[in-house]
Amino acid sequence: MSDQPSHNGYVSGSNLERVLKAGHFAVTAELGPPQSADGNVIRQKAALLKGYCDAVNITDNQTAIVRMSSIGAGALVVQEGLEPVIQMTCRDRNRLAIQSDLLGAYALGMRNVLCLTGDHQTFGNHPTAKNVFDIDSIQLVQMVTALRDSGTFQCGDALKGQEPRFFIGAAAAPFAGPVEFRPYRLAKKVKAGANFIQTQLVYDIDAFAVFMEKVRSLGLHTQTYILAGVGPLKSPAMARYMKDSVPGILVPNELIEQLEAAGAPWAGKSKDELTKEDKKARSEAWKQVGIQICIDLIKKLRKIEGVAGVHIMAIEWEEAVKPIIEGAGLYPRPVVAEAVN
Amino acid sequence: MIVAEQKPLSEIKTLIGSAEKVLVVGCGTCVTVCFAGGAREAAIVAASLRMSTKLDGNGKQVSDVTVQRQCEWEYLDQIGDQLKEVDVVLSLGCGIGVQAIAERFPDTWVVPGLNTAFLGLPTEQGVWDERCAACGDCILGLTGGICPIARCSKSLLNGPCGGSENGHCEINPEVPCAWQLIYDRLSKMGKLEVLMDIQPPKNWRTARDGGPRKIVREDLRLPAEEE
Amino acid sequence: MPGDCHYLEGNANAKRRIEHIRALLGQIGLEPDRVRMYNLSSAMASQFVAITQEMAENIRTLGKNPLRNHNAPISKLESGK
Repeated sequence: MSDQPSHNGYVSGSNLERVLKAGHFAVTAELGPPQSADGNVIRQKAALLKGYCDAVNITDNQTAIVRMSSIGAGALVVQEGLEPVIQMTCRDRNRLAIQSDLLGAYALGMRNVLCLTGDHQTFGNHPTAKNVFDIDSIQLVQMVTALRDSGTFQCGDALKGQEPRFFIGAAAAPFAGPVEFRPYRLAKKVKAGANFIQTQLVYDIDAFAVFMEKVRSLGLHTQTYILAGVGPLKSPAMARYMKDSVPGILVPNELIEQLEAAGAPWAGKSKDELTKEDKKARSEAWKQVGIQICIDLIKKLRKIEGVAGVHIMAIEWEEAVKPIIEGAGLYPRPVVAEAVN
Repeated sequence: MIVAEQKPLSEIKTLIGSAEKVLVVGCGTCVTVCFAGGAREAAIVAASLRMSTKLDGNGKQVSDVTVQRQCEWEYLDQIGDQLKEVDVVLSLGCGIGVQAIAERFPDTWVVPGLNTAFLGLPTEQGVWDERCAACGDCILGLTGGICPIARCSKSLLNGPCGGSENGHCEINPEVPCAWQLIYDRLSKMGKLEVLMDIQPPKNWRTARDGGPRKIVREDLRLPAEEE
Repeated sequence: MPGDCHYLEGNANAKRRIEHIRALLGQIGLEPDRVRMYNLSSAMASQFVAITQEMAENIRTLGKNPLRNHNAPISKLESGK
């Protein structure tokens, strides 16, 4: 089907795949593109993350707010010597556009793709847009798998040349409803061809352990690499927001209390009494605790059987990735040789 | 049934414009059942227009008539003469009715008094919910009788997505998660294994995506008139 | 009084309809307050008098109905000429 040399047991040969296949605890991070056409934002963020992760996810119009495209930003990330995981949602593109974009992404050097349903456009800044959702995330995984392994487009036609050999990922939401069904939905994604999974943010280790037990009983941890989602909390308000307003995120009260305790030195002052310096210092204190909580979570997650790595979502706070990785003992990142002919 | 809502009176007045004689045409079927465009509504809209335009200082002559269904030629033909007497017809039928009048009487200026909203049913008195997307390839047999195309905000065939929480859809707490409903129904019936099959991408050609649709039943067509 | 209707829900239904009519009058361009609903029983004579006077005063403040005799369909208008 292709002119490439043999794949040496790798489906894509991407750095992320090689790290996972070699048995290392993998680290992926997240890079949020700007609401502009400024490529320098990508370069600056890539510089913060290079060396601290095995690959970096680039979000795709996250929360339905228009940003530089994942693939566009991905091309810049490749140029900076960092490996992207491009994210592809089903919200904005039909099957033609998705396949077309993926062919281009591969040609531009991208090797990992995360297949997502996508937040509904009512959340974002263009709520009047037409819904696409031509296919769903599971059909998307199947489609990308067929492009790679059968060399066929979704319609059945054969590709006329190099097939895109992606390392294919999917998301999992362990705590979204119906909770009992989530391990089975993960099974569907694995059946569809998902090589790796990145979960929604985990703050409740016990609840996640219950999920992983079920996942292991289904044998899924041996068929796919599961990376647990983690993210540093910036403040008690952010923790409460995650807990109350974002579907599928559980935040134990003790974590909120830890953050509030960090703000204790300023608790005596009312809102109007707080000076600019106070607020800055308090914010720094919260952030330090947020990073530490993240480090502790990562250490606990490493102990859960079936967790092959972590996916760090430091939303608009890429600077936090370095201290988290170092604090969790995950620096430096392993270097695994590329597939040799 | 087709569910519709009246346009605001201000918008209707704009659509009528400078016409002097107006005929409001109600419809006795779907829009009667959803209290948007039946005989009573037609009479009220007609009265509202008379009163309102008079207060505006350009009083119009507005009368009303209601037919059994606007979407069948034979019922429209019954009011053909009345349509010729007026400057504009304000149809309180669904979008189909408005177009039927325009198509049957091409010299008549027709404007819509309703916004046709969706295909649905009254789940309780005064509340109508969408149920069918008219996709042309019904899959209700796979989902325990609950339609994911119409009722899932993302029309997923392998749902739910990660935005389902406490049985409702991420876009609005008042919208139930269709996949939670499907899961509960199949669970109750002991048929959860159906959900483990991966449904392939939908053929949207039979839906509106494939272009305007048509059904021809040759067995029902009348033979052409002999010369 | 609300809840004491001889016809059980009759006065509750009437209340909803009156509210709907008031809203409709507003859209048409008339003052919604030209229609009001009061609850009382046939034994409450003095209240009836007070309410009638209150409503009359209300209407005087609002002024004459600008649409008196102008709300007839086309056929009636023509026959009236």
